[in-house]
Amino acid sequence: MKLSELRAQLDSKKIGAVELVHRYLDKIQKNDSSIHSYITVCREEAIKNAGKAQSIIDAGKASPLTGIPLSVKDNICTENIRTTCASKMLENFVPDYNATAVRKLIEQNYVLLGKTNMDEFAMGGSSQTSYFGGVRNPYNTDCVAGGSSGGAAASVAADLCAAALGSDTGGSVRQPSAFCGVTGLKPTYGVVSRYGLVAFASSLDQIGIIANSAEDAGYVLNAICGYDSFDSTSSRASIGDVTEKIGADIKGLKIGLPKEFFSDGINAEVKKAVMSAAEFYENVGCKIIETSLPSLEYAVSAYYLISSAEAASNLSRFDGIKYGHRSDEGDSFNDNISHTRREGFGDEVKRRILLGNYALSSGYYDAYYKNAARIRAQIVEEYNDIFSSCDVILTPTAPTTAYKIGFQENDPVKMYLADICTVTVNIAGLPAVSTTCGYDENGMPIGMSLVGKAFDEKTILSVCDRFEQEFEKLEATI
Amino acid sequence: MFNITLTKHLADLSKIAFTNDELKKMTEDMSDIVALMDKVQNFDSEKETYSLEAVNYSDLRKDEPKPSLETEKILKNSKQVKNNSFVVPKVV
Repeated sequence: MKLSELRAQLDSKKIGAVELVHRYLDKIQKNDSSIHSYITVCREEAIKNAGKAQSIIDAGKASPLTGIPLSVKDNICTENIRTTCASKMLENFVPDYNATAVRKLIEQNYVLLGKTNMDEFAMGGSSQTSYFGGVRNPYNTDCVAGGSSGGAAASVAADLCAAALGSDTGGSVRQPSAFCGVTGLKPTYGVVSRYGLVAFASSLDQIGIIANSAEDAGYVLNAICGYDSFDSTSSRASIGDVTEKIGADIKGLKIGLPKEFFSDGINAEVKKAVMSAAEFYENVGCKIIETSLPSLEYAVSAYYLISSAEAASNLSRFDGIKYGHRSDEGDSFNDNISHTRREGFGDEVKRRILLGNYALSSGYYDAYYKNAARIRAQIVEEYNDIFSSCDVILTPTAPTTAYKIGFQENDPVKMYLADICTVTVNIAGLPAVSTTCGYDENGMPIGMSLVGKAFDEKTILSVCDRFEQEFEKLEATI
Repeated sequence: MFNITLTKHLADLSKIAFTNDELKKMTEDMSDIVALMDKVQNFDSEKETYSLEAVNYSDLRKDEPKPSLETEKILKNSKQVKNNSFVVPKVV
């Protein structure tokens, strides 16, 4: 059910907030064991907070998200609720503060259903690297849910929450949304405060939203966006009410299709579905323009060098002394930390830390990190170039649909290359929204992405909504 | 070329202990990954107008002390605490 419909039902007392939260909690209890989208379910707190929300609704003082049950990715800090990053390292970590995005939801008296499963420290595209076990796709439980916000996307697709907060460093909101047949919004860098989001790659990380529609994602973004003095990279630019253009005529809008995103590496069924969406836009009066992003071929390597360099630095805080897992081995200070990190981190996290320290090492820095920074600047220029003649850009969200669990998660290079369609958006700090535009021969969802100019979330949500209004979605099978 | 000595060096820099078998496997993985990263060396650009800091830090707040978390709360998640301090193995 759409958030606007839920709001109307709560406000008209067709359903009570406590009854609503019980519906979701019962469904989680019944169905989540088959997809493992949650790490922690906050049953008691959810019922208590729903009661509080109901009294606010009864007093006629409801905000847009009062009483709305949401899930939050387990790398976003929640006060007095375990926040694990799906890692042994933080298995028992209980934050003493809320992330700013969560604080803003609490101010609206939302209801937190629980913390969702993910790739360990948000490093991955399958949600199979979780210390607590992998997430399964609600459309076919033999397939991955995508990642790293796989639990968030699966929880929305399986109707185990009304919408979800995720995080997106290189596609981690959009790609699992594509794999699970839901809508994923990655806002412009700086629009949502990163305070309380456990840092992976600080210049790329952004909290995003996974929902049943572009309009729903907009409602949640309206609640969590805005300047925050606790995040030095938070933007003072206002994006206004991002749902404002929903339903507006998009006739005459110019949509760019960068040819490099439709190369041989992209699955034929995916290409066909995205091109059909382009035709749809043409039929409703948009102008389709072939464009180019020539540096795309360097994007994956540049992204992994930059993100891993930042991760190596950010994850150095996990020493087992101040919080998190601590090894019983190692007599000296350094040995104890080294054993703590050996035991606490999974293989993929270790690979990224080693790669980051390699790229930053004397003798390798110029060849790797500096070149990656040059490529980053070039990609920004190329996007600016496209946006001088286009309003939005249309691309596939991922080269394939969701694949079978075990197919490629143990091959890091294959996994990295699969991020080709999403990483440039983070590199350039732009907003993008992914929605379902078709299904493959096995019934698995195909995602397309609409990329916008910085701080122009309104336009991409409006263009996305226009497609969603006429697209017939297939429900998930669980 | 990536080899076990380089992996060991990076493991030391990263403060992560590895067994010999783990080091061997990590060296294989890192060889493949670094081969993919080598792609950036083919990027042909004279571009010097780039920044190593992609993020604008010009809007920092004034450097004035603000209230912080209480000591008790900060220590709560540590495995070993004594006299309002974190306990670590002897350093000197």
